[in-house]
Amino acid sequence: MGVGQAIDARRPWLPRWLTSEHPFPWLFPATALMVVFGLYPLYKAIETSLYKKNAATRKLVFDPDFNWTKALFDERVWNALYNTLLYTGIALFFQLVLGMLIALLLDSDRKGYGLMRALMTLPLVIPPSVTAMMFLLMLNGSFGVLAQGLIGLGLLPPGYPILGNASTAMAGVLVAEIWQWTPFMVLIMLAGLRSLPKEPFEAAAIDGATPVQAFFKLTLPMMSKVIAIAVLIRGIDLMRAFDYVKVMTDSGPGTATETMTSYAGRIYFGNADFPYASTISLLTLLLVIITSTLFMRLLKVKL
Amino acid sequence: MELSRRWQFIRDAVAVLVTGIFMFPIFWWALTSIKPISAIFDKDRVVWFDFVPTAINYAVTLFGRSRSQMAIDDGLGMGVAGAGTYDSRQSIIDSIIISLGSTVVTMVVAVLAAYALSRMAFKGRNAFLNWVLGQRFMPPIAIIVPLVTIYAGLGMRDNQNHFLGYIGIIMIYALMNLPIALLLLKSFFDDVPKDVDQAAMIDGATRLQSFRLVVLPMVKGGVAAASVLCFIFAWTEFLLSLFLTTEIRTIPVKISTFVTSTGNEWGFITALGTAAAIPSFIFILLVQRHLVRGLTLGSLKE
Repeated sequence: MGVGQAIDARRPWLPRWLTSEHPFPWLFPATALMVVFGLYPLYKAIETSLYKKNAATRKLVFDPDFNWTKALFDERVWNALYNTLLYTGIALFFQLVLGMLIALLLDSDRKGYGLMRALMTLPLVIPPSVTAMMFLLMLNGSFGVLAQGLIGLGLLPPGYPILGNASTAMAGVLVAEIWQWTPFMVLIMLAGLRSLPKEPFEAAAIDGATPVQAFFKLTLPMMSKVIAIAVLIRGIDLMRAFDYVKVMTDSGPGTATETMTSYAGRIYFGNADFPYASTISLLTLLLVIITSTLFMRLLKVKL
Repeated sequence: MELSRRWQFIRDAVAVLVTGIFMFPIFWWALTSIKPISAIFDKDRVVWFDFVPTAINYAVTLFGRSRSQMAIDDGLGMGVAGAGTYDSRQSIIDSIIISLGSTVVTMVVAVLAAYALSRMAFKGRNAFLNWVLGQRFMPPIAIIVPLVTIYAGLGMRDNQNHFLGYIGIIMIYALMNLPIALLLLKSFFDDVPKDVDQAAMIDGATRLQSFRLVVLPMVKGGVAAASVLCFIFAWTEFLLSLFLTTEIRTIPVKISTFVTSTGNEWGFITALGTAAAIPSFIFILLVQRHLVRGLTLGSLKE
């Protein structure tokens, strides 16, 4: 390469891999960041999970099977796994369906629709922990505006603690989750809808297809890639959900809303059993890796 | 599609209604922040508009006024002691330092790497991209537990050394935002034809010069969008900050300390929450155009 040699001549004392012609100097900072703050702690987490914490002496004893066997027979792990999958499934379903419906509704060039689309992005940037508190306030049995509304409609008995009851706590947390992240789906679906070609729809209309038929036969298949990407990104975030559960119910009542991440957090803050907390958080990582890889392989999605 | 006037009216009404439903929690939150305590905690009913607005919640959280003193000044009689814990000025400063610091680190690191990944052909390029993507998929909980121990061993926790405490959280936020910034920037670099920097280099510019003087100015919009997204994600992050810090309190963690076993200080919570949301609202409206691209890591363009 003539160009490369010209530069080498300018700084002959530099080895080639230190010049800007070589990818090394460009990639070094990112690599260093990911190794030092990503890979090394991950390695440490795996190492820590192989130790047993002696409750009496607070010393760590090497015992590679201990935490992993304990996790396998720990009912709370299975409960947390079930809750995580339930949480992810329900939230994904509602966010996807509502997101698509609202995107279809707001996909118009009429006056005011642009403003409404912009307003719909606002929930996305509220800190999730603050969103959790918003709904904590609104779902309060005695002075919460949402709870009072439901009581007024006769759906709940007066003073009913939505988040304090094991059968409704998960639904309460999910309301916050769905409110905050449905706009994410709306945005992505809108981008997908706007990129669709017009001709097939005109042809279908001439052939007498109803809008509903056009949606299922044309829109959905043409949007499949967009939908798959949205589900993948959202699904990964849902499986590691923490903020809403931590703030709204702190995994309770009992273990009714305990997810994998919040269980790990409870062990960490509760009895400071770092080895077991590491084990649970590594299980969360495994869950994310397995489900996302399966999803990408089966649906042939690539980010 | 042409709709009849009647259907168009119904659609408009439904669209306004749906947007209204999504805006309601924000409205209610802001409304609560100017309510006096008596209007927040009415045991029998929900108070809508029949209250005297007050700025006390903002005065205490944002300006460090003492609530008990203000209550006496206003002739409301006895207040509650302990205003110091609700003074959030230091948290706002901490959040600004950490969000800005981590955005700068992320952007410098990500711009360099994104350029190389977009422009250079080398062995392991795809593996590197997958590594970056994998980093985005990693649950923060998996690295934060050991990281606390590592920081403690190095004397880097905020209660050991305040300055290093900032560095520690800035670096972990930089890591958190690196994948989104890097992949987003790469998609912007990919949009610039390769001929552009080739031409510059044939004219005698080095790689670095053609990057700095030719290509980088062409992706200014992308750099701005990525910076804004990094700032927002750092500004709103909760889990990492909660685990890692004891003295430095970012705003989301600070607000969560207002939720106590003896009762939640809703006035202060909503006031600080509203104030913290305003910068994010402004920023997000500025980057509407690139939002979808950012949220999908550069894979969907609007």
